[in-house]
Amino acid sequence: MDKDNANPTILNVSELPTRRDRRKKASRKASESKLDAIMRKPQYLSTPFCDIPWSDDTESDDDFTVEPIDEQEVYDLISTISDPEHPLSLGQLAVVNLPDIHISPSPSVAADPNTLTRVLVKITPTITHCSLATVIGLGVRVRLEKALPPNYRVDVMIKEGTHSQDDQVNKQLADKERVAAALENVTLKGVLDKMLETCV
Amino acid sequence: MPPPEVGVEEDPSTTTTTTTATTPTSKLHALPVFKPDLYERAWQSIPHPTLPLLATAHQKSVTVFSLATLTSHSSLANGHERSVRSTTWKPNLPPHKLCLVTGSFDSTAGLWRWDDTGAGGDADSDSDGLGLEVEVTASDKARDDDKDWELIVVLDGHDSEIKSVAFSPSGQYLATCSRDKSVWIWEDVGAAEADDDWETVAVLNEHEGDVKAVAWCPETTATARGRYGTDVLASASYDNTVRVWREDGDGEWVCVAVLEGHEGTVWGLQWEPISRDGRFPRLMTWSADCTVRIWSLQEEDEEEEEQEAPRHAWGGIGSGIPSTMRRSLKEEWECTATLPKVHTRDIYSAAWSASTGRVASTGSDGTIILYEETGDESTTADTHADDEIAAAELDGDVPMTNGHPEKTKKKKGPLKRTWKVISNTPNGHGPYEINHVVWCKRYDTGCPPEKRGIEEMLVTTGDDGIVRPWEVMKEETEQSS
Repeated sequence: MDKDNANPTILNVSELPTRRDRRKKASRKASESKLDAIMRKPQYLSTPFCDIPWSDDTESDDDFTVEPIDEQEVYDLISTISDPEHPLSLGQLAVVNLPDIHISPSPSVAADPNTLTRVLVKITPTITHCSLATVIGLGVRVRLEKALPPNYRVDVMIKEGTHSQDDQVNKQLADKERVAAALENVTLKGVLDKMLETCV
Repeated sequence: MPPPEVGVEEDPSTTTTTTTATTPTSKLHALPVFKPDLYERAWQSIPHPTLPLLATAHQKSVTVFSLATLTSHSSLANGHERSVRSTTWKPNLPPHKLCLVTGSFDSTAGLWRWDDTGAGGDADSDSDGLGLEVEVTASDKARDDDKDWELIVVLDGHDSEIKSVAFSPSGQYLATCSRDKSVWIWEDVGAAEADDDWETVAVLNEHEGDVKAVAWCPETTATARGRYGTDVLASASYDNTVRVWREDGDGEWVCVAVLEGHEGTVWGLQWEPISRDGRFPRLMTWSADCTVRIWSLQEEDEEEEEQEAPRHAWGGIGSGIPSTMRRSLKEEWECTATLPKVHTRDIYSAAWSASTGRVASTGSDGTIILYEETGDESTTADTHADDEIAAAELDGDVPMTNGHPEKTKKKKGPLKRTWKVISNTPNGHGPYEINHVVWCKRYDTGCPPEKRGIEEMLVTTGDDGIVRPWEVMKEETEQSS
C-alpha cells in the first residue's frame, strides 16, 4: 500500500525542543537530597514573596515541590508518539509542534487539584488529505488522557487550513463516546498501541 | 465545539459560588455514595419505574443497586463483548419480575430477566412495591450475585455501537439507536410476557450522523391530535438535530418534525415528565454546544389548521424530509427556552423532575447545575410585541411567508417562561467528568420513613466509577465554611 506522504519533511531529533534530560537530572538530584527538601523553606517564602509574613494560605504547603505541567512537558509526552505509517515520531514529522500547544489557565502551581485545566493541541497532518489524521489525533488524545491528571481536559484539533476535512475530524476527536468505542475496537487499538510504544 | 475557555472553578471552600447573574437559592448536599465503588468509567444510572432499584451501566456490565441500602443488589455480566452504554427497565411488570435491556458498543442489545417468584415465596407482601426490596435486603449476603439475571434475547441488527435504549411507557415498544445513524423500534409480538418473540417494526434512517439518544413521550392526557398513534419517540443526534417520530395509524413510523438549533452534537433528550395546562409535553435537549433547550409543540386550533392548509408545509424545515412524509403528519416544534448557559464544556446529561419541575444538568466540566422555571405567561414588553406580530399575521391576508415556520406565531403559542439557576455545584465528582444525572425517589435510611418513596434525590454517575446521591436543600441564609 502506498503511503499518503512518501517523502515527509523530517526534523532532526536533536533539534526538537525538549526538557527531558534536564528533568531526569533534576529528579535524581531531588531524591538525593530528600532531607534537604523537607527541611528547607517552602518556595513561596522566597522571593518575590519573602516579604509576606507567614501567609495563611496553608493549602499550598505540600505543593511547594510540584512543578506545574507546562506546554513543554505536554510536548515531551506526545512528540515521541510514532507516526502510524512512517518509522518516525510525530515530533520529527512536525505533526506536533510546541507553539501549537496551549494550556489554559496558564501553568502555575495551582493550589486546587480540582481546577479544570484545558490542554489544546493542534496537530498538523503531513499532507492535507492524510487519511490517518483521525488516528494520529486519537493517539495524541489517548496519550495525554493517560498521562495527565484527571482535572485536565484534552482537546485535540487539526490546525486550521492544514486538512481538507478538519471540522469532521475535530468533531470526532471531541466526542468522548466515539473515542471510548474506538478504544474497544481491536484493530484500531492495535495501531494505537504500536504508536504509543515509543513513548516512555 | 465547546467554547475555547475552560471554566475556572472557584475555591471549593466557598460552596456558594455565584457564576451567574442569579443568586443560587438551593444547594446540593452529597449523600454517602453507592457501594461498592466501580473503579471504572460508569456511563449511566437508571432508576426502576416503581421499585427501589437503580441500574448502573459500566464497562461490559450493569450493576443494580438498592436504593434502600445504597449497596449492590445484583449484577448483569458476561452478556456483552464491549461496554454497556445504556440500559432501560421494562415497565408495568408484576413485582418480583424484572426485565432490563442493555445497549452495548458491541452493536447488540441484550434483554435480561429476573424471575424471583421461586426464591422468596412472599409474593403477597409486596403490594406496596417494596416486597422485592425487603426480601432482597434480608437475603443479600447469601445470594450469588449473577445467579438470578438471565440473558434471554440478544437483539441483533445494528451495524455499530448502540448508544441508547428505551422502552415506551406501556412497555410495548423498545427503541434502540446507534452510530450507524439509525433508530430501530422493536416489539414483542409473543402471546405472553415471557415469550420474548421480538420483531423489528421500524428502522428509521433519516439522521445524518450517530444517533446518541432516544426517548419516548410519557403517557399524557394532553389532547394530541387524534390522527396519530399514542406513542411518540424522539431521537438526538451527532448531526446536531432532534427528530420526532410517530406511528401514522397504518403501522408506519414517520418523522413528523426536525428540531434544528443546537450547534453541536445533541447528547440527549427528555420529555417533560408531567405536562402542564393540558398542553402536549415539552421536549428538553442538551448538547455539546453547552446549552439545554426546551422545545414546544405548536398546538393549532382546528380553524387555524384549515386556514393553514394551503401552506407549503415543507418550506423551512430543511432538506432531510423524505417526500413520502405526508403533510398531515407534520408538526411544528419551536425552541421556547434556552436555559441559562453556565456549563463550559459538553453537557452530557440533564434530568427533569416529575415532582418539582426542576432541571439538573451536568457534563464534561464536572459541574452540576440546578434550574427552576419561573413565572407564567411572560408579560414583558417584548413578548407583547411578539404577540402583536403574531396577531397581525393571523389577521386577514396572512402571507405566511413560506419557508419560515419560526415566524408564523400563533395566538395560542407555547407558554413563554424563563429559567433561573438555583444552584451551582462544581466538582461534583472531584476533577472527573460526570456522564449522567437523574432524579429518583429516596428509600434510604437517611430519609425519614414517612417520606420514603416520595422525596426525591439526584444521582450522578461519573468517570471515576462513583455513583453519588445528592439531597437538594434550601440554601440557608449564608453559607460559612
